[in-house]
Amino acid sequence: MIERWALVSGLRGDLETYDLIQRDLKKTRGVTALFVLGDLVGPERNCDALLDRLRNPHRGDLKPDCIYGWWEEQLLAERGFRGERKADALRLSQGEDAVSALLNTVNPSHLKWLASLQFGFIELDCALIHGSSSDVADNLTSETSPLILLDRLTRLNVNRLFTARSTKQFHLELTGGGINSQVKDLNGKREQQQEVPKRSVIGIGAGLNYTLYDIGSDKMHFLTAGSKTNPKGKGFA
Amino acid sequence: MNHAIISCLHANLPAAEAVLNDIDRQGIDTITCLGDLVGYGPQPNEVVELIRKRGIATCQGCWDEDIIDGLNACECSYPSQLAERRGHLAHQWTDDQLTDENKSFLASLPTSLRRDRLLFVHGSPNSQHEYLLPDMDAFAALERVETAGADILFCGHTHQPYVRELRDGSIRVRLQNADHGNDQGEELTLPMRKIVNAGSVGEPRHGSTNATYVIHNDATDEVEIKEVAYDVGRTCQAIVEAGLPKVFAWRLSHGFEFAEQAEDASHVCER
Repeated sequence: MIERWALVSGLRGDLETYDLIQRDLKKTRGVTALFVLGDLVGPERNCDALLDRLRNPHRGDLKPDCIYGWWEEQLLAERGFRGERKADALRLSQGEDAVSALLNTVNPSHLKWLASLQFGFIELDCALIHGSSSDVADNLTSETSPLILLDRLTRLNVNRLFTARSTKQFHLELTGGGINSQVKDLNGKREQQQEVPKRSVIGIGAGLNYTLYDIGSDKMHFLTAGSKTNPKGKGFA
Repeated sequence: MNHAIISCLHANLPAAEAVLNDIDRQGIDTITCLGDLVGYGPQPNEVVELIRKRGIATCQGCWDEDIIDGLNACECSYPSQLAERRGHLAHQWTDDQLTDENKSFLASLPTSLRRDRLLFVHGSPNSQHEYLLPDMDAFAALERVETAGADILFCGHTHQPYVRELRDGSIRVRLQNADHGNDQGEELTLPMRKIVNAGSVGEPRHGSTNATYVIHNDATDEVEIKEVAYDVGRTCQAIVEAGLPKVFAWRLSHGFEFAEQAEDASHVCER
């Protein structure tokens, strides 16, 4: 039996998009889990209706498992949930108005729940994180140095890292290679060889663009919610 | 030209003096210190003042940071909770002893120093608390050097001196994305890089009581690990007389870490 995960991110308060994804998932065989990898909130629109739906799923909804993303980090920092830190990254990149806009989109009644969300999940041999094992803001793309990608995988000792921060959909496989090293200390010299483990980093997309992952076959399907057909070339079998 | 790199002096004045004398005897006048001037040992003010007096370029170690900022490292920085409690005792004692002037000096230290293609840090470019052990994952080790934009990374923190050369590396990748389907595979050739750990002047843990440091020749890139004998008994006696945990004297007189190994030595404290 096919078992699939649905991976979603970057909803940023857009209930309509979330509703479209839920409708898609109802029509898709084998989806057993829905992971929302952060950026549930954003400054563009009021996010309360979406947060209500995520916290209290409708009958028939696939129950979402959520983690926090970059926008939640900014919101929670500005609201005093991150010690002395404030929304400095948002303030620096988009200015004071963006900070004010973000604060106004989320009712304070949701803050405690948002603050309870985890940094990431480890499921099977997969890490599900908004950015990476390094930071929630880590922007991994298909152009990121494979050395950095391998480091982010190694930090968690996982074979697959699902990331959302870039908003892109990609599947980059590390297929081979190696490295030699020589260590010299007061006891002498020793040589070491290490091969690149077969591991992957997957960008799951954002908003309407989401990803299905077939656990058994290790296949990724990059989809767009509400599309009438699943076009060829997007990996959907 | 030869230059010397010292690290982890840990308030051990006899060791610091012996190492600096050894460097002077070789006519080397460029010295870089990778921090941890204080902690564990009985002469924090004397060691800080020696470094200040000599005008030695120094970056901040984890102990120097914690004395200034308060203990912001969680127990993951220690091999065990027992070691953590001992560390906290030493922290409090050191905090009480250090003069305001010497604390200001520690606070002024940068977290890294760079000279052309050489980068000097205490732990790693990511954190003063991260251990770059000699046998850590080679790709992760290379990532630390490469991301920091260095050819050679000088570090300390582990108290074990080593030179690690990372070479002949490559990573093959295959990309599938939503727009273009399956792309051709590619191979990235990795650069050759080096990590040099200076060991510890004041609290060696490499199996000998001798202080260690390294000499690097910036023309040939050759690195020599140096050992220097000093009056260990004098420091051990001062530790006991100061009322510091006696195990600090014990391990100094044996040259290795007492007891426990970290479960995840590559863990970076986020607190």
